[in-house]
Amino acid sequence: MWIYEKRLQYPVKITKNCPKTAKLIISQYGGPDGELSASMRYLSQRYTMPVKEVGGLLTDIGTEELAHMELICAMVFQLTNNLSVEQAKEAGFDAYYIDHTTALWPQAASSLPFTATEFQSKGDAIADLTEDLAAEQKARTVYDNLLRMIPDPEVQEPLKFLRAREIVHFQRFGEALEKTKDKLDSKNFYYFNPEFDKGMFQGKL
Amino acid sequence: MSGNDLAISNIPIQPWGELYNEEEALNIGTIFHDLNKPFFAAEAAMGSKSSIASEAEDQAKPLAQAEREELITRINQIGFYLDDLTLYLDTHDKDAQAIQLYHEKSKEFAELRKQFAQQYYPLSRLCIPDCMNDNEAAFCWQEGPMPWEGACV
Repeated sequence: MWIYEKRLQYPVKITKNCPKTAKLIISQYGGPDGELSASMRYLSQRYTMPVKEVGGLLTDIGTEELAHMELICAMVFQLTNNLSVEQAKEAGFDAYYIDHTTALWPQAASSLPFTATEFQSKGDAIADLTEDLAAEQKARTVYDNLLRMIPDPEVQEPLKFLRAREIVHFQRFGEALEKTKDKLDSKNFYYFNPEFDKGMFQGKL
Repeated sequence: MSGNDLAISNIPIQPWGELYNEEEALNIGTIFHDLNKPFFAAEAAMGSKSSIASEAEDQAKPLAQAEREELITRINQIGFYLDDLTLYLDTHDKDAQAIQLYHEKSKEFAELRKQFAQQYYPLSRLCIPDCMNDNEAAFCWQEGPMPWEGACV
């Protein structure tokens, strides 16, 4: 069960329309390393995690990613609210406009639609947590790239906040991996799959 | 225990350390000094006022609106403080200092959300009991702006 909280995790107040910036930022909504992908990755992986606290962490980070998705959507919304057709044409936002007018739809900056093929839920704790570490790094790189291209402080501030969260999440996933390793034999972490070979894993507890 | 094992990722466990205050933490994106690692290309904008700070300085606002915004800003700051602390506690569940801090901040958070519900509108459905009264003409859940509209309150 989830309970909606009627506020953004970080305030977004963008006073100027800029469809060109919206077209770039939308990648963190529906792109390969976006917040929707992040949330669905963690919330999918948690069910079979063999260490309870790691499932708890995936729930909390997966939930925060939903709030980040809302933050990105709020930015895109404010950057395209009251858009004129002329502005859309000039900024190269016309193709998006044809398909979605100014509504939010999850796609990458390259206009590829959101797809679950962008993330994995592998059913092996070490493989999944290693993917999660990489996912946070890839998302950080996207924010780095956005920050290089977008000088407007009204847009930069929330992007800086979101980038900082990727680094914190990376640290937490690293700690989650260490917690999982603690329950395995350090001579060979790969002797069995802790998510599937439950009997062998519990023998170690 | 943080290992140094071959053929697997090794990440040191974060020790408890110096913390930012609530306002700084939300501006930076973490409560922990040790995890603040900014990007050089974003530093140019660092000198400029943050969106949160500049908003508080906007003088053209009526007093009532300024008060509401101050309260929601406090809620955002403490809410975020708790968000970051929760993730820390997920991997450090026996850290006495973190637990103590969590209790303090979560009490304050609950108080502020209650106050907001009583004075303005409920931030979540769990806050609805705080704004119900007998002569209510319309259900309160749809009151207030949508969070993505950009108006603070």
